[in-house]
Amino acid sequence: MDFILKVWRQNGPDAPGRLVTYEATNIPPEASFLEMLDIVNAGLEARGEDPIAFEHDCREGICGSCGMMINGRPHGPGRGITTCQLYMRQFKDGQTIVVEPWRAKAFPVIKDLVVDRSAFDRIIAAGGYISINTGSAPEANSILVPKEDADLAMDAAACIGCGACVAACKNASAMLFVAAKVAHLALLPQGKPERRRRVLAMVAAMDAEGFGNCTNEGECEAECPKNISIAHIARLNREYLRAKFFSR
Amino acid sequence: MVSILKKAIMAVTGLGWFVYVVLHLAGNLLLFKGPETYNAYSEFLVSNPLIIPAELGLLVFLVAHLASAWRVTRENSAARPQPYLERVLSRRGGTTSASGWFSTFASRTMWYGGVLLLFFLILHVWMFKYGDRSGAHGLWGLVVRSFKNPWISAIYIAAMLPLGFHLSHGFASALQTLGLLKPRWYPGVRRLSQVVGWVLAAGFILLPLWALLFAEV
Repeated sequence: MDFILKVWRQNGPDAPGRLVTYEATNIPPEASFLEMLDIVNAGLEARGEDPIAFEHDCREGICGSCGMMINGRPHGPGRGITTCQLYMRQFKDGQTIVVEPWRAKAFPVIKDLVVDRSAFDRIIAAGGYISINTGSAPEANSILVPKEDADLAMDAAACIGCGACVAACKNASAMLFVAAKVAHLALLPQGKPERRRRVLAMVAAMDAEGFGNCTNEGECEAECPKNISIAHIARLNREYLRAKFFSR
Repeated sequence: MVSILKKAIMAVTGLGWFVYVVLHLAGNLLLFKGPETYNAYSEFLVSNPLIIPAELGLLVFLVAHLASAWRVTRENSAARPQPYLERVLSRRGGTTSASGWFSTFASRTMWYGGVLLLFFLILHVWMFKYGDRSGAHGLWGLVVRSFKNPWISAIYIAAMLPLGFHLSHGFASALQTLGLLKPRWYPGVRRLSQVVGWVLAAGFILLPLWALLFAEV
């Protein structure tokens, strides 16, 4: 298959960027989007040109590294997939594909399609954990977790922190990410002792990073590769208001 | 101020105004009953000792709603300094969220619609609350004579379009922001929000339309 690529090229955080057109030829339909970029990059390197920088790691949809805007959609067309799980057979032969990095003040471009998502790490560091003494695993049945709670917490815990929610949101809001992390821990007994402190600290960290505010459009959920529901945003709001206004 | 608090203020004050708008429409449909009933209703309101606290409350809610909206809108546009060259929203992409929420014209124009409604509100209060009621048929006469002017009627009818849009996103959005909805209610509440918004807008549109076409002063 052949494609016309229009890829955002930007040399550094402060360098000006622009769309550069490349021809991707002889791409196997079963190639993933990243493999297609690998083929294009091999060609660029053979010609002595600077390859397109993009972030990737596991290439199996669980690390959250490979986010990019493909034809105006985070992780490209399709539901519940990351860029590495997007296959070129999804596109038409000869199609033009526009590739851009995530756009958000809190996610500055490092180079080309790579953005700095360490804002997410700082939000996690503010409280997205439980404080326990590590050691050997405790007996599994010593803390009972209702099945419904475990299921809901697992749905939230599926978040891989890729940033597609921020990329999809017209306000570049990180509410779905923060909601997933807060919900995941608040739903489980192990997370309950710190739930008040956690939600206040994580929301404060989120605001400090310069993400926008949620306006309840649900575009984040539509593009989330893990289909995390905006019901968790409502849960985050309840957690926050409870921690802020109600006594223990 | 913390993002979630700003949104909670928007939601509470918005819902407060929503309740007021419902009552305001219910009361003003008395316009159809003629000058006596309508003016008696107006007299009942202005002679009520609670009217001043209620008006002050509405004013405080309005200022809080507007201040939060201003901050939120500014922060939101600052959060993405460089826009996408290409962006396909979920509905056009054919993959709206499983929850049933998606970006709509109404949700994208909350600020602009809100500002239009504010201008309308100022005009509306100036015309009728502080208008001259000393003519024939008192306030009823003032309202009906004003609406006999097709330009004024046109402005009033046009101003209800932003109201319909604003409420068709705002009602559901406020409830979601306050965390009051169960996920299985989402599609229903979103539909309800649209119905509520447009029924209210249509209800208000009936008033100038009736005055213009059918009322006899």
